[in-house]
Amino acid sequence: MLTNKIFLKKTKKGGVMKIVREHYLRDDITCGTEICAFCNQKSPCLQENPSSRSGLVTTSHYLLPDTNVVLHQIDVLEDSSIQNVIILQTVLDEVRHRSAPAHRRLKDMISNPDKHFYSFCNEFNKDTYIERLRGEKSNDRNDRAIRQAAKWYADHLKKCDGNLKVVLLTNDADNKSKAKDMGLEAYTIYEYVKSLKDAGLLMDRLSVPDTGLAVEDNRVQFPEHLPLLEIQRGIKSGKYLQGTFQASRENYMEANVSVHNDDRMIFIQGHMNLNRAVQDDVVAIEMLKECDWGCPSSLVMEETEEKPDDADIEGEDLKLKRNKVPKEQRQPSARVVGIIKRNWRQYCGILQQSALKEATRHLFVPAEKRIPKIRIETRQANVLAGQRIVVAIDSWPKNSRYPHGHFVRMLGNVGDRETENEVLLLEHDVPHNNFSDSVLSFLPKMPWIITEEDMKRRRDLRHLYICSVDPPGCTDIDDALHYRELENGNIEVGVHIADVSHFIRPGNALDKEAANRGTTVYLVDMRIDMVPDLLSSNLCSLRSNVERFAFSVLWEMNHDAEIIKTEFTKSIINSKASLTYAEAQMRIDDKGKNDPLTLGLRGLNRLAKILKRKRTENGALTLASPEIRFHIDSETHDPIDVQSKQLLETNSMVEEFMLLANISTAQKIYEEFPNCAVLRRHPSPPPSNFDPLLKAALSKGFSITVSSGKELADSLDKAVLPEDQYFNTMLRIMATRCMMQAVYFCSGTISESEFFHYGLASEIYTHFTSPIRRYSDILVHRLLAVSIGADASYPELLDKYKTQSVCNNLNYRHKMAQYAGRASVNLQTHLFFKKRVIDEEGYVLFVRKNALQILIPRYGLEATLYLNTDRRKQGPTFEFDEEKNVQRCGVVTFHVFDRVIVQLSIDRSNIQHLKLKLELVKPEVPGFSVPKASQRDVNLDEPPTKKVKT
Amino acid sequence: MVDVLLSDAEKTFIIHGIQDNLRDDGRGCEDYRHMEIETDVVSSTSGSAKVRLANTEILVGVKAELGEPSSGKPDKGRLEFFVDCSANATPEFEGRGGEDLALEISNMLTRAYDCPKCLDLGKLCVIKGQQCWVLYVDILLLECGGNLFDAASVAVKAALYNTCIPTVTVSQDEGHVDIELSDDPFDVQHLDVTSAPCIVTLSKIGHSHVVDASQKEEACCLARLMMGVTEKGTVTALKKEGSGSLDPSSVEEMMETGKRVGQALNKSLMEVLCLEEQKGKKKEKTGFLR
Repeated sequence: MLTNKIFLKKTKKGGVMKIVREHYLRDDITCGTEICAFCNQKSPCLQENPSSRSGLVTTSHYLLPDTNVVLHQIDVLEDSSIQNVIILQTVLDEVRHRSAPAHRRLKDMISNPDKHFYSFCNEFNKDTYIERLRGEKSNDRNDRAIRQAAKWYADHLKKCDGNLKVVLLTNDADNKSKAKDMGLEAYTIYEYVKSLKDAGLLMDRLSVPDTGLAVEDNRVQFPEHLPLLEIQRGIKSGKYLQGTFQASRENYMEANVSVHNDDRMIFIQGHMNLNRAVQDDVVAIEMLKECDWGCPSSLVMEETEEKPDDADIEGEDLKLKRNKVPKEQRQPSARVVGIIKRNWRQYCGILQQSALKEATRHLFVPAEKRIPKIRIETRQANVLAGQRIVVAIDSWPKNSRYPHGHFVRMLGNVGDRETENEVLLLEHDVPHNNFSDSVLSFLPKMPWIITEEDMKRRRDLRHLYICSVDPPGCTDIDDALHYRELENGNIEVGVHIADVSHFIRPGNALDKEAANRGTTVYLVDMRIDMVPDLLSSNLCSLRSNVERFAFSVLWEMNHDAEIIKTEFTKSIINSKASLTYAEAQMRIDDKGKNDPLTLGLRGLNRLAKILKRKRTENGALTLASPEIRFHIDSETHDPIDVQSKQLLETNSMVEEFMLLANISTAQKIYEEFPNCAVLRRHPSPPPSNFDPLLKAALSKGFSITVSSGKELADSLDKAVLPEDQYFNTMLRIMATRCMMQAVYFCSGTISESEFFHYGLASEIYTHFTSPIRRYSDILVHRLLAVSIGADASYPELLDKYKTQSVCNNLNYRHKMAQYAGRASVNLQTHLFFKKRVIDEEGYVLFVRKNALQILIPRYGLEATLYLNTDRRKQGPTFEFDEEKNVQRCGVVTFHVFDRVIVQLSIDRSNIQHLKLKLELVKPEVPGFSVPKASQRDVNLDEPPTKKVKT
Repeated sequence: MVDVLLSDAEKTFIIHGIQDNLRDDGRGCEDYRHMEIETDVVSSTSGSAKVRLANTEILVGVKAELGEPSSGKPDKGRLEFFVDCSANATPEFEGRGGEDLALEISNMLTRAYDCPKCLDLGKLCVIKGQQCWVLYVDILLLECGGNLFDAASVAVKAALYNTCIPTVTVSQDEGHVDIELSDDPFDVQHLDVTSAPCIVTLSKIGHSHVVDASQKEEACCLARLMMGVTEKGTVTALKKEGSGSLDPSSVEEMMETGKRVGQALNKSLMEVLCLEEQKGKKKEKTGFLR
């Protein structure tokens, strides 16, 4: 049976199109219940006898939620106690249109066999399909379709067995009453959940309906948001601008909006102007008049105490503004007039219990500082206190100071290692679920053996003295090296990379999962693999004395490290040794050892030095970032000591050859695929980025030239203070902060002049050497394999737009992995200081209006030393000299780069939210600084504080 | 025009018959042949109709698109006629064979509709001087059985009657105009085609004249008069065709007949269209595209 679906559509050009789609109705769509004897179905999904826990419907029943219930109460549906649910196609389609994350979660539920969710194609069933009537809104039509399907189910079940029922869940009063008229059972989700046995936790997960009546006081606080239509018109006419909202980390009353299709950052200040925008929302802003422009207050402000909902936000705004901003400091400012798209996600954090014991409304403090506190309703504050919980925002009415949200789930106790790691991963959007069965099904079957067929296709390099050099404890070894003198007097150098693309075939579930994860994430005490363990630590890992597949780059070089010939080949290798950096270094230094492996290492080392010299001469930058390693107690898993990472010659040796391999590969794949090569570029930063660096260096009398990478590298080399060894490192750390992010891209999408890698001073660059932990390398491997004829191509590989979208995801995942790694170090630092109070040497990195940003090299830690705070009423006050960028107090002046001694401890004033606290020890400021830790006699297990070599 | 070959004797037979108000197929001089009309036959158009007049088969589709009004009439919409002679109709249309005839028909229709009273084009204006609905009327000749002009005009009128124009709302904001399309597919406007003209072709055969000449009769005819006639009898266009000449008195006579026949044709056409619309979805669909 055929009907047509006809609808009108407006085209981009403004024309009107009539679109006609054929729509076939069928009579063989099954109901999915185990009990049904009429439908001819293989594996029904809905159980024969679902147990009822509801007081409203005592007999067994199936649930049939409408679209809004699914959209808003997906957290409830996800609960394991909600089972046997019919999801109509109408609902599924509508959810897909309205919210991609909700749709994904719904799909996950449907595919989970334990949930017994059945998706019923009511739009294609001849008995449940309905046509839109004249004058009917599309929503009304969908509601009617849902009722029609519910009716069909009710009748169908009655035919099978009198006892089973269908319960329609809808929050729409009209829909509910119409359903009742049809003789259906219909309840709102609130009624239903309330009637469940032990509904407690589930009740909390109900999203609060946005009725606007929740708050008794209807005084309008925030300006009204404009309707979307008006915003669109305003944006077209240029009255408003569209941009992404980025809240400030330092001050909860300030934010920036990065305007789309424009490099500008627009500044926004004060509650009224921020107007309920939340981090990452796409907002419409209106520029303020120039006389109202503000500037960042350079105050570091955190929201502390709870304020009533109708707190005077205007007053707070006024406090912030105080006086007129001088003209030269004004920044383009704007106010938010409307929200184009909310990008709310679920947030991790803790409950800030209300002062009233019996209160059900509490504030939730997110871990991410850029997210405002959220008001949630719960009856079990006692249970939730001291727990890390996940909360979702439902709405932010204009008469409420805080957004309203609901509880989603509990992660565990605050301070637990697992809980905190979970928070970290969730907050950085790192996919960390176990690999699904469908992903694992694409793994090679064990025991894995190398077949004749494999041998024929690969070059046999098992006889070579290949070894790998990695950090200690590394199990995912993705690179190995060899060095061999050839008969013609030249040298053969080989870099062998794990052949991951042999195991991960394009397009299968394993590949998709890896592409989504993008990268392996390293936390201090945990590794979240991009590919399953079997591959990452076994089959792909180039361990010693086993035969492994590799992708090899072989160079013929002369003794001046000039490349004569480059060759790429798939190979089989047998690594002779897996060394750590220190072991390799020892072999090189030990003059007594002269086995082929050691000789090879020495040769590599010699070549690497030449390569590095050449690279530096070219203008490659040597930058610094404080990196540390934790020594972790093997039993308690607590960090017991911290050590800066040591850099050995062998580190640089491996690095040089990896760079060389990457560059050679980049050239090869770009030559072969000028339109779809996956490359990596590092844009040169705009000169204005260097301002803080220049200013800081000038204060010590050095001028840094930044016009090119080469000049920057040279002038950084020259800026050395003999009496302060750390000065140069600090400059390099600051220079690192001025840099842009390096990004993956597809060569067809931008012009060749932009391919440059600034940091490495290379015309072209890519990532080839770590396919176990980076997906970009897998793509590069595939491209390279196609270009040497070792593997077949596939359409997606050669589609530059698809490749670019993969690259965009990789860039995002990389950034997040970096942040997660840093956050993990921070977490360990907190754990480390939990039992300790330590005096440590630090350097002033930035001077702010009310604080000093201090870098503590030994712990690779950057922390804030607050100077004038509201809480500290007595004591001396500091004066901020904006021009000279110094803080003064009496005779003591703080400049950038000043060396200070600070005391590190954990601020226990808020048990739930431990913070690292800094206090000044030296120079002494009477009334502000604190005595030395040793004189305070606080702890016993303090490790000896050594002077740190930098 | 599409010709059939007739011998002199056959021609004489036809001419003599017509003198006695008796045509070779049994009709009177002012009688049309059997006509079938079906509307809403092509779902991808805004309006469509199929007309079958004896062996003449014509399909008309109307597409409504937003466009710019002509500079002379900034507050009116536009009608554009386009005729396509399918080679299926007759081998003579093969290649560019049908082009002259197509142009003739579309010109005649343009002239017939170029009368302010016959169709309210002002309703098609969206924004004065900037945007209006342009109705592209595509006429497809599927089979030739004589009297193409009349059949085409009847099909056009039926298709226009069937045309649904989506409702648009215009919002104006600081000189910027935005057009919003209603999301309800039933929220449409219809055209009032009551006074739209039909073309009546009168063929002078011998001393008499006939309407709706068959192909054989066309072969006997030396001069034709084509008139656009509305339901009230207003003549919107007049055109003489053919190699022969017409006496002024017989022109007058023919016009009188044309008006009379045209009024009757319009009247019965509207009746049929209304009847069909009342049936709505229940009507039996016979079109070949189903």
